[in-house]
Amino acid sequence: MDTTNQTLKKEGFLSELYGVLRLNIQTYTILLALIGIWGIFFFTTGGTYLASQNVSNLFRQMSVTAFLAAGMVLVIVIGGIDLSVGKLAGFVSVVAAYFQAHIWFEYLPDQPLLAAALTVVVSLLVGALFGALQGYIIAYLRVPSFIVTLGGQWLLNGLILLVTAGKTIPANQPWFSDIAQGYVPATWGWVLGLVAIAFLFWSMFNSRQSKRKHGFALRNIYIDLLATGFAALIILIYVYNVNSYKGIQNPVLLLAATAMIMIYLANNTRFGRYAYAIGGNREAARLSGINIPWMTFSIFVLMGFLSGVGGIVLASYVGYGTIAAGAGYELDAIASCILGGTSTLGGIGTIQGAMIGALIIASLSTGLQMMNVAPAWQYVLKAIVLVLAVLADVYFKKKG
Amino acid sequence: MENDIILEFKNVTKRFPGVVALNDVSFKIRRGEIHGICGENGAGKSTLMKILSGVYPKNTYEGSVLYNGEELMLGEQAIQEAGSKGIAIVYQELTLVPTMSVGENVYLGREPLERGAIDWNKLYADTRGILEKYQLDVPPQAMVKSLGVGKMQMVEIAKALSEDAKVLILDEPTSALSEAEIDKLMDILKSLKNNGITCIYITHKLEELFRITDKITVMRDGKEIVTKPTVEFTQESLVSYMVGREMKERFPKAKRSPGEVIFKVENLKALDPNDASRGILNGVSFEVRKGEILGIAGLMGAGRTELVMTLFGEYARIVDGKITLNGKDIRPTSARQAINAGLSLVPEDRKGMGLILIQSILKNISLPNLDQFSGFFRIDADAELKASLIQSKSLTIKAPSLESTVETLSGGNQQKVVISKWLLSKPSVLIMDDPTRGIDVGAKYEIYKLMNELAENGVAIIMISSDLEEVLGMSDRVMVMCRGHSTETLPVAEATVERVMTLATGVSSDEKLMKAN
Repeated sequence: MDTTNQTLKKEGFLSELYGVLRLNIQTYTILLALIGIWGIFFFTTGGTYLASQNVSNLFRQMSVTAFLAAGMVLVIVIGGIDLSVGKLAGFVSVVAAYFQAHIWFEYLPDQPLLAAALTVVVSLLVGALFGALQGYIIAYLRVPSFIVTLGGQWLLNGLILLVTAGKTIPANQPWFSDIAQGYVPATWGWVLGLVAIAFLFWSMFNSRQSKRKHGFALRNIYIDLLATGFAALIILIYVYNVNSYKGIQNPVLLLAATAMIMIYLANNTRFGRYAYAIGGNREAARLSGINIPWMTFSIFVLMGFLSGVGGIVLASYVGYGTIAAGAGYELDAIASCILGGTSTLGGIGTIQGAMIGALIIASLSTGLQMMNVAPAWQYVLKAIVLVLAVLADVYFKKKG
Repeated sequence: MENDIILEFKNVTKRFPGVVALNDVSFKIRRGEIHGICGENGAGKSTLMKILSGVYPKNTYEGSVLYNGEELMLGEQAIQEAGSKGIAIVYQELTLVPTMSVGENVYLGREPLERGAIDWNKLYADTRGILEKYQLDVPPQAMVKSLGVGKMQMVEIAKALSEDAKVLILDEPTSALSEAEIDKLMDILKSLKNNGITCIYITHKLEELFRITDKITVMRDGKEIVTKPTVEFTQESLVSYMVGREMKERFPKAKRSPGEVIFKVENLKALDPNDASRGILNGVSFEVRKGEILGIAGLMGAGRTELVMTLFGEYARIVDGKITLNGKDIRPTSARQAINAGLSLVPEDRKGMGLILIQSILKNISLPNLDQFSGFFRIDADAELKASLIQSKSLTIKAPSLESTVETLSGGNQQKVVISKWLLSKPSVLIMDDPTRGIDVGAKYEIYKLMNELAENGVAIIMISSDLEEVLGMSDRVMVMCRGHSTETLPVAEATVERVMTLATGVSSDEKLMKAN
């Protein structure tokens, strides 16, 4: 292993950089696609696309889909699918609005903070419980997830109509609105940005340390510095950009925290490891002592919980619960995962990728809207991008 | 009639990379006879049949096959050509579509058409005609999945006959059948014979050969050993033709001194998970000592893999019997329970059940052992790496790094990954199901040495192998299984090939039965 390290050193920095880029071509394809899309819209909108107000909106728009996509990755990784998440987020948003408008308004009229907190708790519970119900039927009664969650979608549609009675319910109490409409003050934005950057560098050096301890080949330090530096630069630009408008939006901060937790869960815990093992080879996973029904159940509960988070953000952001809430979000979430490299066959997929996928979808939507492209053509262009991205992935996989 | 030859093999040789599967095979099959072909696993029987049925077309082998005196020229569409020439094969694994009716299966791909649409009445009438002609007792409109294995086999036969087969090849047709179903099959074969159809009957069940065949060809190591009328064989002579080879120094020698009994199974009975009316284990008893290798011998379908999978909590439901490990009664109902009790299983199908091919060596090794390196939440990456590294080094897994995906490794190295992952769980009893299948000689030797080392360190090893030499070469004692029960456990000194084969083919139990009658 030391010898490989040395030959790499001899070959020099550029060729190693090339090697690393080639190895992770899939990740870079999707990043390049994102940058390309931004570039195109930047020119076609005369620069307003990347103006701070718009960037701010873009990230907030992706957030609901991204919460769903973060859970969907694990669902697809274990070989399942969840078609109910859009409507579940919608239902949760309606429930949140209902509690705001009808329950707390009556019983806790003078306590907006407590009311908001209780709304959050109820919403998360509703999401997780619905996930548990579906998860139980899928994992223990062995009904395919496609069917169960399609049924779930219909059921939720019915429940939404029942709760709203066909009317729009306002959800605009002070504290609750801040969840998705509020901003982090500029100073705190900078502090958070710098903490994140410090963490990136710390974890990079930490990982190098651990590799060195066990005699593994280390990448050229400059490549690691370059990669981490690039990520740090993006964070700085983002914070600077949104701070020149109103600051980091609360839902984006919440999303970042959720994504970090999910990434940790996927990579550094038994739970994550078992999920990927189940998707990689169900039989081998079973014989390795993994409790497949329990894992499946847990992942659907987690999915439900994250749909709950998405529902809260949705209700808070739009300020009311409607019968159309969340419609079609499940497909955006699934598309985000696929764009981000999640394999429909299971076993492969990253949270990071799905986040970028969600960002691409939001970027397309907002960009096309800004250009005043007719809705019909918006759909056509989104379709082309989705299929092209997966086609490129298939092509590179064959080559690699 | 004496010289009415329907099929003749002339100097047929079939090579695969690194292996000669058939070596200069020549023999003749007479029209209208039932011709048995027998031999151990890997003797070349199946390869021979794949040449006949067109799986290996003409130019992929040397020598010639004469069918009705003419060279059998099977080209591009070889499998269909063989069928249209009247050669049909019923494979060991049934090839029916379970969700279609009997008639649909019989005429699959050749449905009778009436102006472009399927003529269902004709299809079912024709199916009934064939079924009645050969007294196959199956309703033509029944759904295949609703039938038992025996009836499914009849549908396979009907399918073959519907193509107007002249030669019907049956490859291990009785491995999944009950006694009564076997009797029924024998009757059907006799009726086929009366209708002038030639049957090639491949099996390693001696009893059936004597019961039904006119002639027997014995194969061994890709060669045809002998072909003569069935009446000229005795069971003993047949066995010695089948196994008659000397042991070479294939196995590293080891001095072992087995300790106390650590694992004991008494009269284990379990039902087939797919068919609860059928016993899959019908009374298995054995014990293993610390530092001992117990070999389990038996023919395909004797229930060896089913036994170890059941012991591991992942196959059949145990209905009776007692399992004792480390002095404690256990009855695992999941792999996790078995692992926690101290069992490890290197499964039969390395790629399908042992490994996650798209993941790294590291992740594969640590998978069943993550609780060693993690609390509820965090996996201690350092500890995981350290333990996996020690395992992979001690087993000399050859790979660029632990981060390499296992799909890029050779078969031998893949098997070492499977063994590593199971050794890391520090088992008291290590079960190995065909641990050297499909890996090269050098890697085999390394795995044998490893087994010896483990045994010397006090691990009890249970080894299943389809290679009888391997069982005899590696084991301290050999348990022989036949039709789901353990017949006898022999010390290796008494376990001659003949003795084991006799027990495995069920000859002795038949003799006992006869005496009892």
